[in-house]
Amino acid sequence: MVEDALAKGLIAVGAGLAVGLAGIGAGLGESGIGAAAVGATAEDRGFFGLGILFTVIPETIVIFGLVIAFILMFAF
Amino acid sequence: MLKPEKMVKISVVGSREKIEEVASLLHRMNLVHIEEPEESEYFRIGEPLESASYVSRALVQMRSFISHLKLDPSKIVPKRKYKASEIEAQLKQKLEEYQRLIGEKLEYLRSVDEKVSSLKEELNNIEPLKQLGIPARLLKRYKTLRVFVGMVKENPESKLSEITSEFEMFAKEYGKELVVAVFVKAEYGDEFLRILQESGFRELPVPDVDDFDARIAEIEKEIESLQSKKEQIEKEIEEIKVKEAETILAIEEFLSIQMDKYELPLKTLVSRYSFVLVGYIPAKSLDTFKAQMDSNGVAVEVLEEEGEPPTKLNNPVGVRNFELLTTTFGVPKYKEIDPTLFIAIFFPIFFGMMLGDIGYGLLVTILSLYLKRVFKTEGWQRMLNIGVYAGVMSIVFGVIYGECFGPFVVPGEYEPYQIHFIGSQLEHFYEFHHGHPIFDRVEEMGVKILLFATIIIGIAKILFGFALGFYNVYVEHGLKDAILEKLSWIIGVTGLAMIIFGFAYNVGVFYQLGLGPDPGDVPPLPLPGLMEGWQAGVNMFYVASLPLLVIWFILFVMGEVPKMGAMGVILAVELLTWFGQIMSYARLLAIGLSSVYIAFVVNFIGMKIIDPVGISIPILGALILVVGHIGNLILGILDPGLQSLRLHYVEFFTKFFEGGGKLYEPFGRIKRFIEE
Repeated sequence: MVEDALAKGLIAVGAGLAVGLAGIGAGLGESGIGAAAVGATAEDRGFFGLGILFTVIPETIVIFGLVIAFILMFAF
Repeated sequence: MLKPEKMVKISVVGSREKIEEVASLLHRMNLVHIEEPEESEYFRIGEPLESASYVSRALVQMRSFISHLKLDPSKIVPKRKYKASEIEAQLKQKLEEYQRLIGEKLEYLRSVDEKVSSLKEELNNIEPLKQLGIPARLLKRYKTLRVFVGMVKENPESKLSEITSEFEMFAKEYGKELVVAVFVKAEYGDEFLRILQESGFRELPVPDVDDFDARIAEIEKEIESLQSKKEQIEKEIEEIKVKEAETILAIEEFLSIQMDKYELPLKTLVSRYSFVLVGYIPAKSLDTFKAQMDSNGVAVEVLEEEGEPPTKLNNPVGVRNFELLTTTFGVPKYKEIDPTLFIAIFFPIFFGMMLGDIGYGLLVTILSLYLKRVFKTEGWQRMLNIGVYAGVMSIVFGVIYGECFGPFVVPGEYEPYQIHFIGSQLEHFYEFHHGHPIFDRVEEMGVKILLFATIIIGIAKILFGFALGFYNVYVEHGLKDAILEKLSWIIGVTGLAMIIFGFAYNVGVFYQLGLGPDPGDVPPLPLPGLMEGWQAGVNMFYVASLPLLVIWFILFVMGEVPKMGAMGVILAVELLTWFGQIMSYARLLAIGLSSVYIAFVVNFIGMKIIDPVGISIPILGALILVVGHIGNLILGILDPGLQSLRLHYVEFFTKFFEGGGKLYEPFGRIKRFIEE
């Protein structure tokens, strides 16, 4: 019983780590791209669409983290 | 709808005398997208018509008025249209009138500003001197002494005394700096200056006044009177602005039109007696255009040569709003599929899936409708129309999810009235469904279903994107390239999808959703050698994926190796990118869930404060509810909007949309203030 609760707790911690660390990674990635994209957009408004596109590319990593979290929570 | 409008390339040839007439006609018809001409042996690029220089000067003047008056044509809706002939008749007189009414006043304002700033500078110089407290006449005109008056950053006295002790120094603190007056024999002057400069010396000019206080008062009075004069004139200009805004903008538009016409020769090639211009025109307007030109004695001929025609997007009214989103990414090439229709269908649905809340949806809709009345420009109108569609879709999904400013059913032992301020009412509303939402995305099963659904949407959307890409490549480069470049990926992604389904099957997703039998305890991913008994994990999906992946790999190698050499095989890793992009659609669930939980937390805290055990503080509770929901709404507009856009730009458009076309911009302009 205790072990079961411990396992559940560890799974929750693991899920949290998956989302949280992925979020930090994506944030670090996006910071540089975002700054450059804003700069480029200031030079040329036409770059806006492409800028958004570049900026959000690392975001997929968070979604990976999230999917891992879901799999941890539901599949185990 | 899916294709840009059909264009034909034409040449317009006529006698040079007629060019002004033709310019007017072309401008009025607003049909021909003129190509930049290239000079040749007999044909040179024309020169602007004679009147152009007068018009351009007048235009510069009007535009400078407009920018000084901060007139924004997009915010002004004309009460009536001005006749072009009417403006032409009084152009000269009006220009002079405006020069007198506005130009001279602006000039005067500028001189007032200059005066004020020079007075302020003088004030800045006098104030430290006043602090020092030495009359001005004692600070200059000595024969044997040199005097330094000014500001220093640090006290130079000790350094100065190293040179000679025969000097006098007065210092007072002024702000962070010191104001000093140093008197020294003329022979030490240069050395003293050097030391002072090391201390950051900045000389203050000593004015010819006896009484600093009197002069300061005088300056302040003068500034005040100048300011009040300035305000007076600004008020006058404001009055003129209100009264004349429309006329000013109408004149500017009239002059711009004239300018377009007079500069037409720059886009044509001329020989001694004739001119020729080449451009594109929508095929359906060709006949009327030709007839009109023929009757004016100008020849129009259809050219058969190859070229890249401009893109005129051609969408029905509702869909047209979404062209804004397409062109932000890129303008489709003439032969490409125009993806506006797909973005028009899926953008609001994705937005609604993520936001999915009756209350927020209503607010978004109402806000968009209200702002539509305020911002009248075409770009804003289009964007706000998109807002209305997105808001309506949010309401639809809100009804499905059973959310109105947050959920009224959450996992755990809560009654609806405990966690939601209108929980009981919502429960009543959903009585037809036993007091539950039609689809509950907060509860565990709901999350699972939605996660699975989003991944299926992702697979479908990516396959659809490749299918469109197949068509585009087929049109441009032929069937073989289309198969190697796009069909191979369709097969590859299908194989990938099979693996995902196989994995889902083995972890029991199909069973839990009631779609298949219980797989039992089997390894999710049956990789040979990964674990004992992997054979048990093999299911029909995994079996189906194998031949698909083999066919994909063969097609892929056939396509890449000739281009990239043997190393091209490595690019097959790209298949993993598509896996990432399929997973990326899970954000449809994730973004929504986060906003649901924020709403839930806000409601929960608010309700606890409004109705606690002990003291209740309803006002604080209500404040938390209002502020919390406003914050969540802002996030709820920004995030689903951007994410939905991103799912189109990154995951969808990249499969087929290259862009890089040029937009159809006919010679002429849409007239807002003028009618001919």
